[in-house]
Order: sequence, then C-alpha cells, then structure tokens
Amino acid sequence: MTTHAAAAPDAIQIRQLVKRFGDFTAVRNVDISVPAGSFLVLVGPSGCGKSTLLRMLAGLEAPTSGSIAFGGRTISSGEGGVIADAGARDAGLVFQSYALWPHMTVAGNIAWPLKVARWPKEKREQRIDEVLAFLGIGALRERYPAEISGGQQQRVAIARTIAPKPSILLFDEPLSNLDAKLRIEMRSELMRIHRATGATSVYVTHDQVEAMTMATHVAVLNNGRVEQFGSPIDLLRHPRTTFVASFLGTPPANLLPVKRNADMLTFGDVPLAPAGIAGAQTEVQLLYRAQDIAVGALNGKPKLVAKFAEAAPIAGQTMVTAMVGDLRITAMADGYFTASPGETVDLTFIRTPDAVFTAAGERIDQ
Amino acid sequence: MTLSTSFPSSGRFVRSRHAMPAILLAVVALLVVAPLLRILWATLTPEGLDAWVAVLASPLSQNLWWRPLVDTLLLGLGVCLGCLLLGGFLAWLVVLTDLPGRNLIGTLSSLPFMIPSFAGALAWGTLFRNDRLGGAPGYFQAQGIAIPDWLAWGLVPTLIVLVAHYFSLAYTIIAAALSSVGADLVEAGQMAGARRSRILFGIVLPVVTPALVAGASLTFAGAVSNFAAPALLGLPVRMHTLSTRLFGMIDTGQTERGFVLALLLIGVSATLLFFSDRLVSGRKAFTTVTGKGGRTKRFPLGIWRWPLFALAAAIGVMTSIVPVLVLAASSLAPQSGALFSNWTLYFWIGEGGGEIAQGQAGLFRNPVLIDALWTTLRLGVVVAMTTMVLGLALAYTIVRNKGTLLANALSQLAFLPLLVPSIAFAAAYIALFGAPIGPLPSLYGTFALLVLAATAHNLPYAVQAGRSVLGQISTDIEESARLTGAGFLRCMAVIIVPLAIRGLLAGAILVFVKMVRDLSLVVLLFTATSPVLSMVAYRYASEGFMQFANAITLLILAICLVASFLAHVLQHRVQKWKQS
Ligand SMILES: Nc1ncnc2c1ncn2[C@@H]1O[C@H](COP(=O)(O)OP(=O)(O)OP(=O)(O)O)[C@@H](O)[C@H]1O
Ligand SMILES: [Mg+2]
Repeated sequence: MTTHAAAAPDAIQIRQLVKRFGDFTAVRNVDISVPAGSFLVLVGPSGCGKSTLLRMLAGLEAPTSGSIAFGGRTISSGEGGVIADAGARDAGLVFQSYALWPHMTVAGNIAWPLKVARWPKEKREQRIDEVLAFLGIGALRERYPAEISGGQQQRVAIARTIAPKPSILLFDEPLSNLDAKLRIEMRSELMRIHRATGATSVYVTHDQVEAMTMATHVAVLNNGRVEQFGSPIDLLRHPRTTFVASFLGTPPANLLPVKRNADMLTFGDVPLAPAGIAGAQTEVQLLYRAQDIAVGALNGKPKLVAKFAEAAPIAGQTMVTAMVGDLRITAMADGYFTASPGETVDLTFIRTPDAVFTAAGERIDQ
Repeated sequence: MTLSTSFPSSGRFVRSRHAMPAILLAVVALLVVAPLLRILWATLTPEGLDAWVAVLASPLSQNLWWRPLVDTLLLGLGVCLGCLLLGGFLAWLVVLTDLPGRNLIGTLSSLPFMIPSFAGALAWGTLFRNDRLGGAPGYFQAQGIAIPDWLAWGLVPTLIVLVAHYFSLAYTIIAAALSSVGADLVEAGQMAGARRSRILFGIVLPVVTPALVAGASLTFAGAVSNFAAPALLGLPVRMHTLSTRLFGMIDTGQTERGFVLALLLIGVSATLLFFSDRLVSGRKAFTTVTGKGGRTKRFPLGIWRWPLFALAAAIGVMTSIVPVLVLAASSLAPQSGALFSNWTLYFWIGEGGGEIAQGQAGLFRNPVLIDALWTTLRLGVVVAMTTMVLGLALAYTIVRNKGTLLANALSQLAFLPLLVPSIAFAAAYIALFGAPIGPLPSLYGTFALLVLAATAHNLPYAVQAGRSVLGQISTDIEESARLTGAGFLRCMAVIIVPLAIRGLLAGAILVFVKMVRDLSLVVLLFTATSPVLSMVAYRYASEGFMQFANAITLLILAICLVASFLAHVLQHRVQKWKQS
C-alpha cells in the first residue's frame, strides 16, 4: 500500500496521453492525476475511448505519445512504449466479460495469479480463503466458472483481481452484464472493497449514476478528450461544457438556445434573462435545472407554452417532459401531475439560469 | 403398424406420432445394429471360432494380427501426432498471431481434407516410386535421383500422405477452438504477470484441450481405418494394416478371418474414440464462459512474420495444390517418369488400339469408365437423398421426443456408425446381406446393398445436419402455424420447405461428396463388374496404369469441387439471408 505522506507523488499521473489506431485518434491529450486511495471514474458515451485509456493504464496497450506514471514511476510512455509490463505494475484489472479461465475452478482462478507471482503455498491458500470469505463466495470454491451465475462470476473475477493485493485496481464496466438490482448491490460491494483494500481505483462506465455515486474524481470523456475532470459535485455544479452539463445529473439539465435581443436574451420571442450574463456573445445557451422550471403559469416569471410528452413521479414530485418545437424540456411539478400527450402546458422559469454557455458549448464564467 | 390405412387427418396424425418413432427405431436397428450383431454372430460359429484362433493364437497370427496391429497403431499414433503438430501450428499462426495473409493460409490449410486420401497416395507414387517393383519409375527416379525404399513404399510414405490429408481436419477443429479463446482470457493472464509461454501452456492450451483431444482421436481413428493410402503405398511391399488385411482376407474368400479382423479393428478404433470422449466430457467439458468473445489476442511475430508465412504457405501448397498438379501432369504424360514432356490428351480421350496404355481407350471413350461415372453419380445422389430423408426424420423424432428413452436410444444408435471404420462396416454388411436371408436374395455386389450401407454409415452426419436444419426453422413454423391458422400442408409448402431446402441441399451435397470420393466402404461391397470411379482408379493404380488412375482421381476431384462449391454457395446464401 502506498503511504499517505504529504509529499507523496500522485498514485496515477497521466500526462498528455495520446493513442492512435492508424489514422483514428482514440485518446487525445489526456491529462489526469489522482492521489493514492482515490476512486477515479472515467465516464462517457460508447466509443469515447474509456477502455482504450484503461487498457493503457493496465499496460495492455502502448501509448502513441505522452506518459503514465504510477507513484512517480513512469510505466508507459510514447517513447518507451510499455515500460513496465502489465504484470509488473502492481495493478489488477477486472474485465467486463469477467475473463474467468474456464478450465480452472473458482479457487484455481484465484490461485493462478498468486502462483505466477510465486507466493508460497500456505500463504496462497490462506489468501484464497480470505478473499473468498471477503466476497462471500466460499461455498463456490470448487466449482467451475460455467457452473456459477453471472453475479457470482463477477465476484470471482473481483476476488481474483484483489488477491495479489495490487495497489491499483482497474475496472472496465464491471457491472454492465448484471441486472439492475444486482448492479446496485455490487456498487456498494465495490465501494466496500475499495475502502477495505485502500487501493487506488479507476473505474470505467457509461452510466453517469455509477459515476456520481462512486467517484472521488470523475473524468468525463468525449471523442477521446477529457471534457472535464473534477469531483462529482464540482462537475454537477460547474459543468465546463454543455456536453458535461447534459451528460451528468438526473433528471437531465435543460439547455435553451437564446439570442440577444436589445437588453434581453430571448428564446423565440420570450425574454428569459438579462443580456448581461452573455458577455459579448449574441447567441448563447442557458442551462436550467429541472427544478428551476415549474409547471403552470406564475405571475412576473417568463413562461413557455409546451406540448406535454410524459410524466414520471419522483420522490413526491413529478418530473414532466414537454416539447417546445423539437426541444425537449424537463420540469418539476409538485405532487402528482398528469396530462394527455399533446396537451398544452405552461412551463415557468422560476429561477435565473444556472449557467451560460457559448453556442459552441463552452461555459461563460460570470 | 397401420400407416396410411385411414386417411382422416387427425386420426392419422395421432397414430403416426407413435408409429413414426417405432418405424425409425426398426429402420435404424436394421441398418446399424443388425449388421454389427450379424458379423459378431458369424464369428461365433465353429468356422468363426476357428478364425478367432487362427487370427489371435496360431502361427499365422503374427502375420494376420500382430504385425498389422503394430503397423496400424504406429500409423494411428504417428498421424495423430503429426496432425496435431501441423494443424495446431497452423491454427496458432492463423488465429493467434499477426501472420500476413492469414485468410490465404487458412483456406490452404482446410483444403487437403477435401482431397481424397488416395489422391495424395497416387500423387506420392507418381513422384516417389522407385524401381524396386519393376514397372515405370516415378518422377524423381526418372530424373536420376535415387529414391530409397523407405521413402517410396511402406510406413513412412503412408504416414506422410495421411498426415498431409488429415492435418487439415485437426487444423479446422483447433482453429475453431482457438478463435473462441477470447482476448480477455489471455490479457487476464498478462495482468497476472505471466509470460507468453506460461499463458500458452497455462491458459490457451488447457482451454482448447477438448478440441485437441477431439482432433487427436478423429485423426487417429481416420488413420487407423484408412484403406486407400496403406493399400496403394504399403501393399506392394507387404506392409499390412488391419484394414488392408481385412480387405485381403475377404477378397480372397477367407471371410470369417476377415470378419474377425473387422471386429478387432472396430475394437481398436471404438475404444480410442470412447475413451477420448470420456476424457473431455463431464464437468470439465467447459465451453468458454460469457464474454464479448470475437476479439482474439494476436501475438506479434516480429521478424518471423514472413519466414513463418513462407513456411505455412509452403505446407498448404505442398498438401493441396501440388498433389493435384502432379495428378494433372501425370494424366497428360505418356511416360510416367517424364511428367512434363510430350503431353497428350490420350488418357482422357484417346481412341485406343495404339501403343500407349496397352491399347486401352482414353477415359471418356471407355464404356466401363462411363458406366462407372454414372454409377458413381447415381450412388452419390441416391445416398444423399436417402441419408438426408432419414436424417431429417430422425432428427425431428429425436427433438420432438427429447428426454425420452426412445429419443436417447435413437440418437445413440444413429451415432454408433461413427465408432465403426467404414471398411469394417462394409464387412458387417457382407456378413448380413452377403447370403440370402430367407426368401430375400443375396444383395452382395448390388447397388442396393451399397445404398443401405452408405446411408447407415452417413447417419451421424445426417442427423447432425437434420438437427441444424430443424434448429433454424422450428420456432418459426410453430409460431406462424399458430398465428396464421394455416393448415399443416400449407405450412409445409410455404414455410418449412423454403426455409429448410437450402440447409437440406447443403447437407445432401456434403454426403454426395463423401460418397463420390469414398473408397474404403465401396471397395468391399462392389463387384468388379459394376464398379464406381474410386474403385476403378484403385484397380488401375494397382495394375500400374498410373495415368488412368490419376485421371480418374482428377475427375473425382472435379466432381467433388463443383459440388462443394455449390454447397458453399448455398450455405453462404442461407447465412446472408439469415443476417438480413
Ligand atoms: N485495436 C483497435 N483498433 C482500431 N480502433 C480501435 C481499437 N480499439 C479501439 N478502437 C476505437 O477506439 C475508439 C474507442 O474505443 P474504446 O473501446 O476505448 O471505447 P469505449 O469508450 O470503451 O466504448 P464502450 O463504452 O462502447 O466500451 C472506438 O471508436 C474504437 O472503434
Ligand atoms: Mg469499453
């Protein structure tokens, strides 16, 4: 385990990392550092390069340029390729497919990496018992992977990865093959494992709820680039781009394109906010949270007439989705609300916009 | 059995539901079990018991049993080992490395199995014969390169020819297994810090062990029961395997001894297949678990890429293209030693009466050959049809009655022929049908006997094919039948037939190909008066008319190639249509 001395170098330091496959750039200039013991979540839509980045961390893929250092030691770089082999970087990877070796029993699967690392037999047996008990799968010891359920395979895969006590744990969408209930259960299980092992974890997912609940640090990736890196709260409160703003948070935030019209910003012909917040821009996007928009008219507040689409009750309130032209807007109504699809509803903007973005999607700081 | 006495459909269906399995059971029992029981019984008569003694415990047994057994086992083990090494090596290159031209190598490696093994044996003879036995020497000897006996005749060339033939079977099986080893499994090993060799021996090899065992046992069984190669390359120097011995016995009228040898051959081959099956079944019959699959980990070969490509390509070309070219050249060369000079079409279309080939007419002017060609095609077509009909009926019954004793019995019986080498199977058919049964005449030498035997021997493949055809359509029929309310016959005509026809045709063509190039089943069952092509080729070869033998073999190859191509197109169409 890494020590927590104040001056200790970051457990993971990624610098200007680039990965190209032929002409295609999968990872562009990624720059991320996290201290030991953090839980870093890489989140983003499918194909944005999360797995590629993780595989470079694992040492299964060599960077095209840039570098990766674990605890101050450079383990991969554009010039040196994979400097420390996958097995030599004190990291464990949990595969999305679990990748259990089908010809070995559960105990055999856990034992093999220990054998490769030349653990003496008694220590090995002891460790196997330990991790089996830790994950609550002691009863499966002598089964073959084909003889256990998906959730159990998942546990075995985790047990196999943590058995050699790696100081860095890497997870590639480990929960995506599980059903919804099991996923929530395993989420807390993984947090428990993270705390108990004290390892620095990197966790790939395209599920923003997972990212928000588990992470100490989140990196939102889009097209191979880090859109924003920070703590979950930070990202929710101060999204740097419209991509981040619309990707994170439940219910999704609303982005309204508006134009400067004299001293007001108007959506269509409805004035929404004073033009001053747009700086020098003439066309900007305003971010409104669902809770900033109410259903029904309210004196003195700007309002839009929309066509009702759907309603979902959430914690005593109702999340209402309505269409203004092609734009989907999510608002909150108190209590239970319903209407028939296509019916007109009034959406009132009860607060000022939470953030302002340029037409290109960059945040305009106030 | 009351089949089709009363027509009203409901009653007929209810009854046929019970009648059908019973009839099938009877048919399979007659086709598969009866001959085997009969041949066993035939060796339990006083003459039969004498034959057992003669074969196993007499001064003759050295020649009748022990030496052939040793040669057979040597051949089986050698071929199995050679095939695993060669096939495994090529499969590894194609599936798990960044070898250039992988598709080409893959295709080349799967070709040799399409070429009958006697083609390989004939090609070997054409190149490597020496003058030990008189007759025209082979190409190398004629060029002044002395070929030692061990390379011209006997165990070594037989072994080489059989490896060259069967390795592609091993390749196909191992390649399929290797491509199911997902990259994740390998990468998980890398993450554990294991070196390449440790991953290969600790993960990749164990995962494909079932395929290795299957490849080993199938190539072993194939080599042990092969007749053509040891007959063409071994018999001239008195090297016997169990199958050539058994052929010799029956051919010279020592039927009981032949039967005893057939039983022993079945014993050798079945024991092995049985145990290898046991070895890989049960708990450890793991298939790869879940996973995105698809992606496989390719190891970089570095500077070895092109040398290994050259080696793999050379292996492929030597085993699939060179033999065919040699046969083609030989069928055009009047002097068998001078493969590339004075080419003539005489052996194909010559009028006969001249100096060449002792005055015999060319292939397409020889009535016996034209006859044999038609007999061969007829046999192939008839057997393909009978086999597919029976196979489909069996598959249907087995699927419908899944889990019942009857279904189990049917599927076990239908797969029994897999354990029986074809020449021994032929011997069993002679035992059963070689003499009149009651009022029925002896079927020996008739077309009907061959159709029966071939149908029975192809049953395992047919049931397999029938199952996959049913697998494609079963849910569709059930649902559409129920939803549209269309009558049963209408469903058949509109849904089942169009859906199944391609699968059935593809399966039928494969059976056709197997029949057209088969020698070991027909060699015992057909008489010299109405032979099939492969038998004529064999006879010409043993009489020293290499050009004729080679020309006929080419003809067989051409037929098989056209048919296989058809099957490929059909299957491809099926899949295309499944994807859309
Ligand atoms: N070996 C490769 N060769 C070429 N392109 C690749 C390779 N591996 C990944 N890519 C491409 O790089 C991009 C990023 O892939 P990656 O697997 O990292 O996506 P991801 O974010 O993990 O997506 P998902 O959520 O679907 O798993 C994709 O467009 C992919 O097609
Ligand atoms: Mg991924």
